[in-house]
Amino acid sequence: MGRSDEELVEACQAGEAYAFDVLVGRWEDRIRGAAYRFLGSEDEARDVAQEAFLKAYRGLSGFKQQARFSSWLYQIATNLCRDRLRRRKTRPQVSLEALEETGPVIVETRPGAHERLIERDLAEAVRRAIHTLPEEQREVVILKEYQELTFLEIAQALDVPVSTVKTRLYRGLVQLRLRLETEGMRGRAPVPVPAP
Amino acid sequence: MECEKVADEALQGEKLDVLYGEADAAARARVDSHLEACAACRDELQALRSLRRELRHWRVPIARPCFTPRGLMVPHWLAAAALVLLAFGATLGVSGYLSLSRALASQAARAAELERQQRESLGAMQASLARAPVSETDAQALAARFEADLAERLKSSELQQAERLDRRFASWQERAEVRRRVDMAQVAASLSYLDGRHGEQLARTNELMGYVLQASQKR
Repeated sequence: MGRSDEELVEACQAGEAYAFDVLVGRWEDRIRGAAYRFLGSEDEARDVAQEAFLKAYRGLSGFKQQARFSSWLYQIATNLCRDRLRRRKTRPQVSLEALEETGPVIVETRPGAHERLIERDLAEAVRRAIHTLPEEQREVVILKEYQELTFLEIAQALDVPVSTVKTRLYRGLVQLRLRLETEGMRGRAPVPVPAP
Repeated sequence: MECEKVADEALQGEKLDVLYGEADAAARARVDSHLEACAACRDELQALRSLRRELRHWRVPIARPCFTPRGLMVPHWLAAAALVLLAFGATLGVSGYLSLSRALASQAARAAELERQQRESLGAMQASLARAPVSETDAQALAARFEADLAERLKSSELQQAERLDRRFASWQERAEVRRRVDMAQVAASLSYLDGRHGEQLARTNELMGYVLQASQKR
């Protein structure tokens, strides 16, 4: 049984640098995943994850463990993503991934190709729908649906009350439902898929 | 059709708790009780569950890690031992190089000094020949003696140099061997210390196991 986040944080604060490596290994993928969903760019997501861990490392001595380490880390990453999104509004960018997503469709003829196409269309529709949400709803939906944080953890990460988290999530889900219905994507899921 | 309790924030929040599996027993009972009576909320909860399944189709691409992989994790004691061995190798290499450099420089200086002495001697002989002309026979005899003398001196010098070089190398090898033994002793001491720590734990475990065995035999 490995050490808990709290124990690792205490070890880091006591000067055991290796403990922070363990924390990075534990949370790296999830932070990068959240940043990818916020920003829609793998490269930027990687940059944000690196920056978030760097900030966390520098601020670790002042971290009092009133919130969970993961909530604090998500808070740092979310703020970094917000900064990048704000900068994008003043300096619009086109990511290569966005270009790829609108690129030519390859016609597949192998068995199961139809299901794969449906799944790809659905995934793309979900991505677009989530990115049309207002930022505050999008953050909550991503942290809840994809990062699987509890309501309390999201509240800590975003520094808002739990009731606000629930309100934003509910509104976001309603919007997503309408949006996917409009696109004719509701009920098209081919088979149940495992959790991401 | 709309839920009559749509403005009941607590109930709406508890519905989300149920949807995400965070509701406690009391909240779940309240929501279940409401759902029995409210078709709108039943439909809505069902639609949200279906929506959640669809949302899971958007996945994060697999990417390379943000940080350089560290590869195999090496125990601290092994890393320390490797460091000691590395330091030993570096010490040996540097001390050997310095010692050899000093020996070669010293030999070069001696060779230069001998060459200077030979030149001086040759100059003196040429000067004496120029001052006192001698017969051809005497000159030939003198030249032969000079050549023999020169050959003897050169041979003696070469022998001396070879002997000194041998002594230098022998001394250097001896020093390197001593250094190696000292470093190996340090490595052994470090490893023994590390082993000792594990040994203490092992001894303690054995002791405890002994108590357990004694206790079981008494029963």
